[in-house]
Amino acid sequence: MIQNTKCECGHQNRVGTVLCEACGKPLYDSDQSTEPLEMRYDGVARRSQKSNPNFIDRIWNFFSSVKVAVYLIIITLVGAMFGTIFEQESNFVYFDPSTFYKQKYGTIGDIYYKLGLSHTYESWWFVTLLVMIGASLVICSLDRVLPLYKALSRQKIRKHRQFLIRQRVVYEGPVENLTGDWISSAVTSLKKKGYRVKHDEDALLAEKQRFSRWGPYIIHIGLIIFLLAILFRGLPGLNVDKHYWFPEGEITKIPDSNLYLKNEGFTVEYYPEEELPEKFRESGRVVPKLFETKAVLYQCTADCDDPSKDPLLEEVKRHDIRVNDPLNYNGFKVYQFDFDLTPKLRSVTPSLVRADTGESYGKFKLSMTNSEETYQVGPYTLELSNKYMDFDLNEEGKPVSKSNDPNAPAFLFVIKGPDLPEAGVQYIYFPKQIDKERFQQDAINERLGGLDSGLALDVLGMEDVDFIASSSYLNIRVDRAMPFVWIGLGIVMLGLVLGFYWHHRRIWLRLDGQTLILGAHTAKNWFGLRREVARFLQDMGVDVDEKHLENRGNQV
Amino acid sequence: MGKARRPVQIVILLFIIVLGGYAIGSTVFGDHEGRPTQGSTSPDFKLLGMDGSVHSLKEYRGKSVVINFWATWCTYCVSEMPALQAQWEKWRDQDVVILGINTGEDRLTVDRFVKQVGVDFPILLDSENEAVQKYGIVPMPTTFFVNKKGNIVSIHEGELDLTMLDEQIEKLIEP
Repeated sequence: MIQNTKCECGHQNRVGTVLCEACGKPLYDSDQSTEPLEMRYDGVARRSQKSNPNFIDRIWNFFSSVKVAVYLIIITLVGAMFGTIFEQESNFVYFDPSTFYKQKYGTIGDIYYKLGLSHTYESWWFVTLLVMIGASLVICSLDRVLPLYKALSRQKIRKHRQFLIRQRVVYEGPVENLTGDWISSAVTSLKKKGYRVKHDEDALLAEKQRFSRWGPYIIHIGLIIFLLAILFRGLPGLNVDKHYWFPEGEITKIPDSNLYLKNEGFTVEYYPEEELPEKFRESGRVVPKLFETKAVLYQCTADCDDPSKDPLLEEVKRHDIRVNDPLNYNGFKVYQFDFDLTPKLRSVTPSLVRADTGESYGKFKLSMTNSEETYQVGPYTLELSNKYMDFDLNEEGKPVSKSNDPNAPAFLFVIKGPDLPEAGVQYIYFPKQIDKERFQQDAINERLGGLDSGLALDVLGMEDVDFIASSSYLNIRVDRAMPFVWIGLGIVMLGLVLGFYWHHRRIWLRLDGQTLILGAHTAKNWFGLRREVARFLQDMGVDVDEKHLENRGNQV
Repeated sequence: MGKARRPVQIVILLFIIVLGGYAIGSTVFGDHEGRPTQGSTSPDFKLLGMDGSVHSLKEYRGKSVVINFWATWCTYCVSEMPALQAQWEKWRDQDVVILGINTGEDRLTVDRFVKQVGVDFPILLDSENEAVQKYGIVPMPTTFFVNKKGNIVSIHEGELDLTMLDEQIEKLIEP
């Protein structure tokens, strides 16, 4: 069926038009009605309103519906609530979700995990809902803003009588002393009130603050930027949230970056007992007062990608990292997360001594990692033939290392020098006193023949021992999407302000002989508009009580 | 309204499908830990070899690669070394490379171990745990079987014996 959408003024309207695009005459209501008109989108058809939609139109129409948008938002809100029942997986650094939820919450927890609700906000359906809301935002806005823009920029001055008397603020009555310049003095009066006025001989259109009509669409643009930012946070490099250990005194590479971080010292301070509440004191709890990592961030400037060379580093930032006070280098943030106060041996500086007399030939520095292969001490040469970081003997009685941590380091040397056999003598050295006794260094050396030389390695004082006192566990975070989130929200705020503090006001007026017909429209603050119209009429010599301007339709 | 309406509509819908599809796809298929799985491409790495030169996985494209993560202190890694060596000798002529990636030990330790056990396939030093993190290694040994195209055909966690290794390599070189 082809609808007749031609108005009596001769304008051909599009399907779905409610008020004639030209003269504003209501196209569907009976001529007798005086009820206030529905002025949404100025009565123009939305883009999607078509007489016979095809497949693409149907998709478009689905997303262009505000009703659908509201349902989508409600479903998303309900979905988001599921994610708040139990803690989400993303809260944890190390844990096994497949057992955690069952252990902590029982069967319900297990069901929760198996339904995938333990990562609600990263689930396909939640992201799909967000994408659908995004689509709805874009399509709803386009579907309305373009026709509205056209309607508002092509407004006709002279409107149909019915359009005027069916506004909510209406005046219809005779005008005395109607002279030729009545319209032009009306223009002056309205201009004084801040209106922009267009007029012809006997009709007038005054409007102000039209820009506030764009408020909702600006909000939508902001929301779209916001949504895009959170949906594409996952793009490589935009978001990093990792945790790494940084041993004190070491420069450690931060993986997947060209940055290195040196932990120059970690301190933890605990609350003294008298500062703690009684409950804590009774239970013997210790509460840290301060954790601090003195951190230096370096950037690699050369030889970064070549593992055969040492990278060239340049200091870029220095900061004492405390809880909630991260190091921030252009959005690359390092937060304090945890610490480990177990000391680890970094290096020892033993002396080569004659076992019987205690005569020393000198010292050499022996580091646990990347140890040198040979050491020259006095007249003697020490060749490191093997080393074990965590010494133990396996079932076959062979020396092995249990781990790569220097828990029980042992160094096997071949000592060469004066009065020693040409092939040298083997000598095993345990830097830690406890290991010396546990593994019986002397007994091993006796078997190796190391004792025959009469030489021994020994640390003479604590100054010859270097420990990594602690390790700091730091959280590396990069969130490059955040600025876009803020920009999006800023635009939303701008849109809200536009809509809240300014309202589009319009006054139409026409003279039919001696009769003045006036209609006025706004979206908010009708009282203000009514008062403004009443004052205007007063200026023009029409005395009317502002309450009488209100049109309540047929019920009065 | 203008004639441009339909194309504009299609372009906007396409945009939504592409962007939305990407967003949904990356949450569904995006591996959160970044751990390569069976069938995925093997992440590249650049490590210093015991021969003193830098090796990357890329240079072995076109060959079947067995990547073995090991350490001298890991008992099972040590006991599977002879099997790896035997298979290296057996298959090296058929474009099969065995790469032993040592996880975080220093040169001296690795050097002494390699000499003691007598392995001569390429051994690389992962001193910064770069490859360990890229491959998400948890238990050791872990072995990745990578085909000529660079795709991971299978992953084995734990000790490998001679026959298992043989079967896996045979599968790997199948065209």
